Amino acid sequence: MNIVLVLIPLSIVLLSVGIWAFFWSVNNAQFDDLETPALMPLCDDPPPLAHGDKDASEAENKPQ
Amino acid sequence: MAHALACFHCGEPVEDGACFLANVGGRSEPTCCIGCKAAAEWIHSLGLADYYRLREQPAERALRTVDFSAWDRPQLQRLYVRELDDGIGETVVLIEGMRCAACSWLIERAMNGAAGISELLINPAAKRLHITWRRDATTLSQILARLARLGYTPHPLDAQSLDALALHESRSAMKRLTVAGLGMMQSMTYAVALYAGAFEGMDPVTRDFFRWLGLLVTTPVVFYAAQPFFVGALRELRARTLGMDTMIAAAVGLIYLASMYETIRGGLQVYFDSASMFVFFLLAGRYLEMRARYKASDIVDALARLQPALAQRRGAGDALETVGVHELETGDIVVIDNGAAIPADGTLCSASCEVDESLLTGESTARLRHAGDDLVAGSIARTGPVEIRVTRIGAQTVLSGIVRLISRAYAQRPRAALLGDRIAAHFVAGVLVLAVLTAVAWSVLDPAHAFAAALSVLVVSCPCAFALSVPIAHLRAAASLARMGVLIPKTDALEKLAHFDRIAFDKTGTLTEHRLELTQINTCATLSADECLRIAQALEETSSHLFARAVREAARDMAGAKKTACNARTVVGAGIEGEIDGRRYRIGRSDFAAPDRDTAHSETDDVTLADETRILARFQFRETLRADASAAVDALRTQQVEPTILSGDSQARVAALAARLNIAAYRARLTPADKLHALQELRAGGHVVAMVGDGVNDAPVLAGADVAIALAAGAPLAQSNADIVLTCDRLDTIPASRTIAQRTLRILRQNLYWAAVYNFTGIPLAALGYIPPWLAAIGMSTSSLLVVLNSLRIAPAKTSATAGDGTSSTYPIVATA
Repeated sequence: MNIVLVLIPLSIVLLSVGIWAFFWSVNNAQFDDLETPALMPLCDDPPPLAHGDKDASEAENKPQ
Repeated sequence: MAHALACFHCGEPVEDGACFLANVGGRSEPTCCIGCKAAAEWIHSLGLADYYRLREQPAERALRTVDFSAWDRPQLQRLYVRELDDGIGETVVLIEGMRCAACSWLIERAMNGAAGISELLINPAAKRLHITWRRDATTLSQILARLARLGYTPHPLDAQSLDALALHESRSAMKRLTVAGLGMMQSMTYAVALYAGAFEGMDPVTRDFFRWLGLLVTTPVVFYAAQPFFVGALRELRARTLGMDTMIAAAVGLIYLASMYETIRGGLQVYFDSASMFVFFLLAGRYLEMRARYKASDIVDALARLQPALAQRRGAGDALETVGVHELETGDIVVIDNGAAIPADGTLCSASCEVDESLLTGESTARLRHAGDDLVAGSIARTGPVEIRVTRIGAQTVLSGIVRLISRAYAQRPRAALLGDRIAAHFVAGVLVLAVLTAVAWSVLDPAHAFAAALSVLVVSCPCAFALSVPIAHLRAAASLARMGVLIPKTDALEKLAHFDRIAFDKTGTLTEHRLELTQINTCATLSADECLRIAQALEETSSHLFARAVREAARDMAGAKKTACNARTVVGAGIEGEIDGRRYRIGRSDFAAPDRDTAHSETDDVTLADETRILARFQFRETLRADASAAVDALRTQQVEPTILSGDSQARVAALAARLNIAAYRARLTPADKLHALQELRAGGHVVAMVGDGVNDAPVLAGADVAIALAAGAPLAQSNADIVLTCDRLDTIPASRTIAQRTLRILRQNLYWAAVYNFTGIPLAALGYIPPWLAAIGMSTSSLLVVLNSLRIAPAKTSATAGDGTSSTYPIVATA
């Protein structure tokens, strides 16, 4: 049973890491829009841009 | 109407002969205007045609090309752009026409493809686009033009109103909720171990280890997640009242402190799990409430949309310059284009002008104004361009006055929550007194049991069943209402929603659509009704007036060749004159069409058609009822709710409409102040009154009603005051929501009865020291579980309840959350 003394504190450490990660992502605007990202997987092809804007490929790699 | 085409982009009906074909992916799709055509083609050329597949609602009718170059003026940029270092600008743009997630998807894709844009944040719920861009690569006007080309109307917002406050509130609510949720899960895990230990036997060291763990995970829940409740309690204490926040803070604080004391002392029982569960459920309820509140727009949005930010000022040497509205001063001459909004209050300098004040007054017909008349900021000049001399600016305008009226009416509003707070205060006080009495009694009899017994009283009574029953029932009701397209930003309105017995409707825009229909043609001469209609159609061919649209609608189904009018001339506020087959005809008000033969008809809404010698026909119109209006009124009547119409429109029109809906009580020609007064009269008679409205002028009236219901298609200012917003735009959801609210209250009452029975048996036993820790724990969990399960019954009842009301209709699926 002594393993509990290790495992439970470990779980609390993991929990705090999780909470830290969540706080970080909330502060970095990952949760400001909860609706649009749900639509992203529905269109799998990256749009073929007719205007040849060079910023487009760069923008694709951004999270937002 | 069956053959009428719908615009590919915005979904509005396409009028015959006014159809623009957009070339979309090799196919021709009909669109209603050049703006929609351009938007559809451009969206497709960007490869973003998926938008049409993903969206849930049709788009807003696209604007024609607008010149945004004035936004690059330094005087405006100072107000609307925040300068970041290295030539990077930051602006918040309110995007009118953004309706669902597909819109924000479209904007994000299209804007990311533009040069010079470095960061893009979209908040679809608040309809805001937060944009940072490189000043050397692009300009604000280019960004706005790009948004406008997509078919949206961009309104840059004041740099000071950069949504910091709202954003901060929603982010911290999310963080608090997560901390409370994870803390709850952890402390419940440890609680299960402790309960098992209480049965099976556990050595004190292991037991204390789990208790310290519980303390560790509950501490952030109490000190961080529950912070809003403590802040609220402090505010209530300063105001010398005992409210819900005080009760929550007292319960959480006492449970936490007592459990901490027991942990340190090695005492009988700890209750960390109840503390964190309590906090989590309350936070979840408040979070959902906040989301609903954000979905209904706020006053800043409304003003941004009503009042234009730019004006055309006639400067020195008669040259026109585009300036920001804040640069205007009294005495300036401002030119307003046809169809543009008036930027400031002023007097008309041009001879005459038709002004659409529907945003302010809610009434459909444009009013005729002559030189010297006052015009109100926010109304729209229908027959421009005209010149006005500015008389009032900024806070002195009528529009700002309306906003002030709203805030005042809102402050005076009797809050349903007040009574609930008073009951909660009594309950909190009662439980605290009881706990103290128990402690005192036991310290006389047997001091060793004093603390444990007092704590049992607190734990058994305070946390779960009683406190949970209200938020859980509210949460469930709000969720099932949202599924029907009914948002309830203020959940304490549920009680009044269940109890209202009078309902007052605004007429225009609420019971009726902004449309007329032709009902009758009374011929006065030898020509047949069909021939008269054909002449009328030819004359009205190009007019955008409501009467003209109704005539064209009626003439659409007619067989035979169309006539065409030449030399057609519009006389503002009177009618149209034109030549058909060599004869002169006039159509319009009877004193215009047949000036010397005018009879008693000038008061009514009839439109007269005449030639040079005689009156040919009179056309009668009526307003188009909303499709669900009479069903909603009937359903409300079966629920013993008496409907009333309060309208600013003329007596004759209101009477006609009331007769069609079979409503006996109606009042016409009311100003917003009169409406407010009429509502107060009804309420003084002991009635609980609901008010349904859509216009800005309804906003103060809504604030004075017990239940304020706003239509989502109406003015945002009205929505910002409403208890309930019908995002589905259907009146027949009102009786259905009332049924749900009643059901919620019934279940709430059952929950409270159950909690009361549990508490009144539990508290005496606990006070007498008969309840061991494990039994208290089981009792507590069972009582809360029963409350939760009972509350789940609110939702499934929806379908049967609506069917029973005779409003068995399918509701559109609306994106909730």
